[in-house]
Amino acid sequence: MEKVLMKGNEALAEGAVIAGCRGFFGYPITPSSEIAEYMARKLPTIGGVFVQAESELAAINMVYGGASTGTRVMTASSGPGLSLKQEGISFIAEAELPCLIVNVSRGGPGLGGIQPAQSDYFQATRGGGHGDYHTMVLAPSGAQEMMDFAIKGFELADRYRIPVMIMAEGTLGNIMEPVIPREPVSDFFEKPWAITGCKDRAPNVVNTLHLSAEFLEERNRHLFKKYARIIESEQRAETFLTDDADIIVVAFGIMARIAKKSVMEARKKGVKAGLFRPISLWPFPDKKMQEVARTAKRFLSVEISMGQMIQDIRLAVEGKAPVELYGRIGITPNPEEITRQLLLIAEREGY
Amino acid sequence: MGNIVILAGGFGSGKSEIALNLALEKAKNCGKVILADLDIVNPFLASRELRKELEEEGVRLVAPVGELAFGDVPNIPAEMMGLVSQDNEMYIDLTGDEVGALVIGYLSRHIKRAEYEMYLVINPYRPFAVDLESILELKNTIEGTGKIKFTGIISNPNLVEETTLDLIINGHRRVVGYAESLDLSVKYLTVEKRFYDQLLCQYGNILKKIELFLRPEWLQGS
Repeated sequence: MEKVLMKGNEALAEGAVIAGCRGFFGYPITPSSEIAEYMARKLPTIGGVFVQAESELAAINMVYGGASTGTRVMTASSGPGLSLKQEGISFIAEAELPCLIVNVSRGGPGLGGIQPAQSDYFQATRGGGHGDYHTMVLAPSGAQEMMDFAIKGFELADRYRIPVMIMAEGTLGNIMEPVIPREPVSDFFEKPWAITGCKDRAPNVVNTLHLSAEFLEERNRHLFKKYARIIESEQRAETFLTDDADIIVVAFGIMARIAKKSVMEARKKGVKAGLFRPISLWPFPDKKMQEVARTAKRFLSVEISMGQMIQDIRLAVEGKAPVELYGRIGITPNPEEITRQLLLIAEREGY
Repeated sequence: MGNIVILAGGFGSGKSEIALNLALEKAKNCGKVILADLDIVNPFLASRELRKELEEEGVRLVAPVGELAFGDVPNIPAEMMGLVSQDNEMYIDLTGDEVGALVIGYLSRHIKRAEYEMYLVINPYRPFAVDLESILELKNTIEGTGKIKFTGIISNPNLVEETTLDLIINGHRRVVGYAESLDLSVKYLTVEKRFYDQLLCQYGNILKKIELFLRPEWLQGS
């Protein structure tokens, strides 16, 4: 297919359409609004439903309702909006409803600003709302991946009956890159649990209120068995020049792309640097990280936050190597400053 | 008599980069120029990032200032009303689609008194610019909301870093087709510097060299 020039947000929306998403429920917020705008334009022309809800709370509960029917549905927002949606996401996780939730993140806390940030990492990877649960989280690093991960996200959501989150950030949503549109998905999962009208069968019920303590515990055990399977089979990461690296930069999303430039630059200056890019933020790719931790002397977590992913890196490397942070908020570190940091560490440590 | 050039078109068609280039070129040749960055939707990758550089080159930037420079509120600098009624050499860079045209609708009764050009910027590789029907809809909604008519088209066929000579030629051919159907002339064909010399013979009278000011360097060549 001919390449198209798309904003990251547009590519993600088109990816959802390609994946068969036919319901979008949202409330606009910068820097995610292009996703809603694209869906508002596109869905009515292909038999889908677009609703701009009266609030984020309403939007996420429409996702709950839409997903209950077995239809592929989604919502998109940014940090403050995602905070409002947490109650619904917890309900969706327990009801095991597949859906796609997108966070094109911005700087917090509070209303913060609309500058790009990655400081919703904890919110995305720790569940975010109340109760014991997880969402799967994928972090694309370019417009093509925004499209491809939306498609993959819907597949994973249906496979595991789990809400899947795409964790992007403002710049990624807004920059334009050439994208190859994919073929529409035609292979869908059976959903015998869906509420589709119960003629000639027993009714399906989607409910999350479990007043019996025994049953509640059973539900939690059931969810965690599923999470164990996901942790086992769905860790995703990309490595670059890590085999002989002394210092490994760990970065996700657009930050990984910027850091890759710094790694190449540092190599030119004689510093053995490498890059580890988590693609799935939950499950965190700790198996792959443990592999590289066998030879690496030190890790540098580069985040557009005050340091959140660094905790997962430390858990994964289990003290085998020190982990440092280079973090900024609202301002995306540029390749030069990361290179400088790498050279500084190399000089300090005598690598 | 002042001359106002308005750049309108779909989101991401290249308006801001082209406005920057035109304003800088004009400043080099004729001195005092005003560039109005009227992006009222979101300020990602907007000309206001370059205020200092522009002013050094003799371009006065009119755009939200201070904290509002990075706000997503519909903020039109108050001085705009006066500036469009006076004799100024001015480039106006609008937000995409009919949303951006709202601003020009507000200013249009003053603009019509001055000489003006309004160009529809088209990159035929953008999702909502791939056929005549979409372009026609875009033109009509912008003119309806903006209460002002287009006077020409700027053809901006590109896939940024992945642009090739063939891609420019084929894309431009499509834009020329749209232009004929819309009964508008193609004022400029804008291309990056690296393609300029190879296209000069074929498109000399409309070819414009464009330097990308707003694209992050780390994206280029990655």
